[in-house]
Amino acid sequence: MINENSEVILSVQNLTARIDNTPILKGVNLEIKAGEIHAIMGPNGSGKSTFSKVLAGHPDYTVTEGEIVFQGQNLLELEPEERARAGVFLAFQYPLEITGVSNLDFLRVAYNSSAKHHGLEELDAFDFDELVQKKLGLVKMDARFLDRSVNEGFSGGEKKRNEILQMALLEPKLAILDETDSGLDIDALKIVANGGERTGAAGQCNVTHHPLPTIAELCGARLCSCDGRRAYSHHWL
Amino acid sequence: MQNWFAGDENGKGGIYNFVTKRGLCAGVNSKISWTQVETGSAITWKYPGCILVGDNSVGEFYSVALTNNKQQADTGTKMVHIGKNTRSTIISKGISAGRSNNSYRGQVKIGPKADGARNYSQCDSMLIGSDAGANTFPYLQVQNNTAKVEHEASTSKIGEDQLFYFTQRGVSSEDAISMMISGFCKDVFNQLPMEFAVEADRLLSLKLEGSVG
Repeated sequence: MINENSEVILSVQNLTARIDNTPILKGVNLEIKAGEIHAIMGPNGSGKSTFSKVLAGHPDYTVTEGEIVFQGQNLLELEPEERARAGVFLAFQYPLEITGVSNLDFLRVAYNSSAKHHGLEELDAFDFDELVQKKLGLVKMDARFLDRSVNEGFSGGEKKRNEILQMALLEPKLAILDETDSGLDIDALKIVANGGERTGAAGQCNVTHHPLPTIAELCGARLCSCDGRRAYSHHWL
Repeated sequence: MQNWFAGDENGKGGIYNFVTKRGLCAGVNSKISWTQVETGSAITWKYPGCILVGDNSVGEFYSVALTNNKQQADTGTKMVHIGKNTRSTIISKGISAGRSNNSYRGQVKIGPKADGARNYSQCDSMLIGSDAGANTFPYLQVQNNTAKVEHEASTSKIGEDQLFYFTQRGVSSEDAISMMISGFCKDVFNQLPMEFAVEADRLLSLKLEGSVG
């Protein structure tokens, strides 16, 4: 499945990052090519989530060294929203609850900001509704989720499914799934595992702390281990 | 809608706005409804009230108050129930950004002859950033044991993490704040004519520009 000649989507070199004055990432290297699925593993506190957030541009973290090149662009020069529009998607470990903003509105604004960036037509409420109904089927979610406030009162599993719905809508080039497997039942897991394929994500990066990485197992991933120093990838199995 | 000059970033030179507004529901079945969008002045004290004398009369108060920088707003209402079966509703939404302070202060008084009087109050506060303050001071005086008085309050916060959730999905911080604020104020803006509600929405976004991130 993995073609050694395929295009490099993400190249991380010697990435060093800190929060306040605590260094967390100490020179991480990672290369992801089109079609590859990687799993980042490591014990609690080894920097897996930090790594995901740094890729997405979370403002709490300061990158002190190294570079991230995403499809030829220097990611570190881009704001979080620009990274997202360029096709970097982070499925949150703890999806946030947004009171008063309906899931449907949230999805539509997110979709349209990406569409606009790519010079595509922005969808009005009716056209978008049509699109979202299709994607709902893909992740087997109930349409009632759309009218509720974003993630508010959602169960843990529902929140994770909602992340996958967003991923399906935004069709990212690189999907980073931070512990998306925890809190999901086996059916939902399969959806996530196949998610990259179904949503057309070119590369996928799974973050998990499981000793037996369920997701990785399901989708036959390449493994990397993150010990705060370096992530090295090798075939698993 | 109030949008007085609030002074510079430190509130210097800003206007002080101390207001008294009262309405009297004298007749049977009469009704007064106050709707305010309060964004202005360095210091605001404002309590539009209703005196519900006529039997079955209705008083309503819908308020959105937004403060930024070093603004201080202390606003709310007075609902004085005197007649029988008088009803009042209070919906107050306070948004505090920057280093501002935003208080709801409201009195609900049920007189001894106000049989069957009812009040429902809902006071929601939203904090933007870590340096703003929000307070709720409800004063409830009930002198009739057939009256029903309810008060609900909540405080929420727009933090960096919520904004990051939006930006990670490609939505700019400004748009994210506008969406969250509109959602928060929906109950009050629904009381306004549509064109006016749109303007109010824009005014709030404008007032919050550059307050986060």
